[in-house]
Amino acid sequence: NALGADEPGCLDCHTADSDSPVHAVFSSAHGNLNGGGAATCTACHGTSEAHDRRGRRNPPDVSFGPKWLSDSAEQNASCLNCHEKTGGKMLWLGSEHEQENLVCADCHNSHAQRDPSMDKVLAGEQCVSCHTRQRAEMRLPSRHPIAEGKTACTDCHNPHGSATDADLHQVTLNDNCYSCHQEKRGPMLWEHEPVTEDCSTCHRPHGSVNDRLLTARGPALCQGCHSAAFHPSVPYGGEGLPSGSSNQNLIGKNCMNCHSQVHGSNHPSGARLTR
Amino acid sequence: AQTEEAEAESPYAPLLVETRPLNTRWQTDYAGGVQLGAGYTSDDNYMFGQYNGLYESGTTFIGNLRWQDFSESESYWRASVSDLGLDTREGELIWGRSDNLRVQVGFDSQIQVRNNSGETPFGGSDSALKLPSDWETGSTTSDFGQLEASLYRFDRELERDTLFAGVEAKLSENWRVDSNLSYEEKQGTSDTAGAMYVDASAGDAAFLPMPVDYRTTEFDLGLIYGNGRLNMEGRLDYSDFENKDDILLWQNPYRSRYPDSAGGMGLAPDNDQLRGRITGQYVIAPTARFQFDGSYAVASQDQDYLDYSVNPAASITEPLPRDSFDGEAQTGTLNAKLWLRPLKKLDVEAFYKGRERDYDNPRDGYRYIRGDGVSQPREALTVYNTSHHFISQTMGLEATYRMPKRSRLQVEYAYENIERENTAVEETKEDRVTVGYRIQPTPGFTTRIELLYGNRNASTYHWDQRYYALLDTQLINATPDNQRYINHPELSQYYMSNRVQERGKLDLGWLPTEHWNLNFNLLVQNDDYDKTYTGLRYAYWERYHFSASYNPSAEISATVYGGFDQFDSELMGRSFRGGNEKNAFEIYPPLPQASDPSRDWRTDSSDESVTVGANLNWKLTDKLDLEADYSFVDTQSDQKFRSYGAADVSPENLPSIETNMHHFVASGTWHMREDLSLKMDYQYYRYSSDDWALQGVQADTIDKVLTFGARNPNEKIHYVGVSAIYRWR
Repeated sequence: NALGADEPGCLDCHTADSDSPVHAVFSSAHGNLNGGGAATCTACHGTSEAHDRRGRRNPPDVSFGPKWLSDSAEQNASCLNCHEKTGGKMLWLGSEHEQENLVCADCHNSHAQRDPSMDKVLAGEQCVSCHTRQRAEMRLPSRHPIAEGKTACTDCHNPHGSATDADLHQVTLNDNCYSCHQEKRGPMLWEHEPVTEDCSTCHRPHGSVNDRLLTARGPALCQGCHSAAFHPSVPYGGEGLPSGSSNQNLIGKNCMNCHSQVHGSNHPSGARLTR
Repeated sequence: AQTEEAEAESPYAPLLVETRPLNTRWQTDYAGGVQLGAGYTSDDNYMFGQYNGLYESGTTFIGNLRWQDFSESESYWRASVSDLGLDTREGELIWGRSDNLRVQVGFDSQIQVRNNSGETPFGGSDSALKLPSDWETGSTTSDFGQLEASLYRFDRELERDTLFAGVEAKLSENWRVDSNLSYEEKQGTSDTAGAMYVDASAGDAAFLPMPVDYRTTEFDLGLIYGNGRLNMEGRLDYSDFENKDDILLWQNPYRSRYPDSAGGMGLAPDNDQLRGRITGQYVIAPTARFQFDGSYAVASQDQDYLDYSVNPAASITEPLPRDSFDGEAQTGTLNAKLWLRPLKKLDVEAFYKGRERDYDNPRDGYRYIRGDGVSQPREALTVYNTSHHFISQTMGLEATYRMPKRSRLQVEYAYENIERENTAVEETKEDRVTVGYRIQPTPGFTTRIELLYGNRNASTYHWDQRYYALLDTQLINATPDNQRYINHPELSQYYMSNRVQERGKLDLGWLPTEHWNLNFNLLVQNDDYDKTYTGLRYAYWERYHFSASYNPSAEISATVYGGFDQFDSELMGRSFRGGNEKNAFEIYPPLPQASDPSRDWRTDSSDESVTVGANLNWKLTDKLDLEADYSFVDTQSDQKFRSYGAADVSPENLPSIETNMHHFVASGTWHMREDLSLKMDYQYYRYSSDDWALQGVQADTIDKVLTFGARNPNEKIHYVGVSAIYRWR
């Protein structure tokens, strides 16, 4: 019923074959707003009576570009009318993206059958087009499967705003990590206290030149906090490579050749994180 | 003049890069489509296929389906499945009624493949690793006479399979409810290492394939209320983690100190967490609003204890203090923000962020058996588990003032206080000041500068605290005062030491013409642990990134980008032994090792990476689309050492580690008919590295560590895919 006679005249001009291909909206999630047809248009663009009368001269009440652009708050209000209460968007006001005057339509395409920003790979490309440092990190040798689309930026971050640092979904960084790595949640009998406090003390979430997303290579990483008598206090240089002494604290898994339980141990004999 | 005035008054608008896919009717005019075909991967690999499922040579099936129907006014549905022929397949089915009800079910499979070039002599089912029956033991790896004949390749692969379901319903104009349930199995083979030892200086270690068989069930229920002025969400989350294996057993490959000796490693214990959370925003007035997010979670773990040792020869005189851990970690958080606009051009925010982790567990003494040896140590060597209660609070103010030329000045002050229990530093206090300025002098040019200065002060460094927390009073009393420490008294653990932090950011955005978008980002950060003598003393980041995008029409878009990242750090240490040499406080020669500055050493580490890439989307004709993407990554890691006089403390610089990656992806889609397209995909992937941790390290290279002898990756992979896409309206 896209051309119903008693509806606003949107579709008189915006035909299926017109330059601006807006008709895809009728095959999308927004195609039946207000009962469908031209009423779908006015559900988001407002009644737009002036535009209805002289469309080339007067913009719709709410316009998302490219020809006319309404104020960002007006554009967002049109979307939030329905979406504010659908979870995860109630802290939009005051969020980082709102303060940058981003509008919903900067990322979302409400006319498309399938909004690109709801696709993990395409959404990721949108994110890194502004967050360029993360684009570089997610291609480093050790990384999460973001480029492959198996981990989405939005699995960890809420682009619509959050009260947590970095707009994380969970209440802390560690909780965000535990949402996939529950085996590290504990509590454990022998805890490694920086682990329970902040995963980013040792790991970089977006990617690293070091294996296992580590911030630095072992044994140096461990020696930043461990300087006990004997082997923990010794420097391990090139003399410990296979061309020299093949030092057990340097090559292979370095410290973790023995202390492999770095995320904590629940073994009664695991005080040194070796069990 | 009027135009200029209007332009000057127009609001700030971010300069965004157009990243949407080509606006072709093939992507917008059809209700459904199925893609079927075959792909071919030229060789086995584990870097190219680390996450994408293309890790084996040979042919794979291409199968994707997308189908939706929004034509009914009352209800809609959407179904999709992708990567049907790969271990990365996923799919979902959504059904809904207008905005009243939405039901979703789906599945998601993931795979992670790691370096599988290594070999092991360990076999066996479940988590008991056995050596071949003719295994020849030895005191070092070179004595293992049957090693070469016993090694076999094994796959280091982890699969995650998740089933999920969700429902979301509108209860009334103001109320909504949603709920989600998921069940995940993570299975496969990972790896770890374990050592048999009595004395830490003489461990007999081995790399071990580690079976993984995890199951996680999660459920959440949320209730959302919104009336425009007050929006709130209350949510209950429950997560249950179960590990099928509680111990990894391995047969000791070394010449046994003890008959039939074996090692037993505790695996991740079963645990669960229940959390309540409430999030919301209250609009007090158009110029005032309040945001809050509070949560309280209890994570519990009460798995039965393993024995002190699996060694059948182990002699236990003092039993375990309890049968299971019975532990709880209670985590509470509160984040709140009050936003005010007292003047038209001035915004003020007051914020508070708090987090407390209360480690509520019984404290007991454990006379643990070292490295699955035979006997418990004497009573004086009992160790105690310790509580790590943690509380952090950050509060601050931020003011934002808008000025002409779409400029904005932002000033923020934050104060952070962290208190820790049973650590060397009980309290740290940090002041942070951030100043930011953003200007958009013309609609096509934006500059943003941000400067941060932070000063963290740590309370007295209690170098002996860990000693008192972990060890028994008998041992403490028998130890001289000047040796009552585990870490050297000069050490400051960097995450809780004094630090001056300076950071600068510069972001430039420029639209030189209607179709071009240029960006440049710079970040420099300097962390100076200015009161630290031993430990991490200095860390420095430098990052430059640029991108240029060209979007002349809806038919073509192209982007090139590049970046350079550098991370430098300086780590100081002192090499020393125990006994009399552990006196860190002697000042008259001959100095014990622990107080001798000539035994100092320094590591200067540097990690650099260069990333360059380009992509092109081009609708060549009405019937032909092309896409291409190229990325290049080059990294280099260096560690250089400096020594200070002691003849036996003179480490050599480590060789540079370089990794190199080229990845080219191209696809062409030929729309043969209205409803039928033919697609060709091609990928070229090249990766190499020369990590010294693997270079030349055979299974028996290290006397006391039996490794996998894995090689550095060196991959050259081609992938070709041919598929047909059939669409319907």
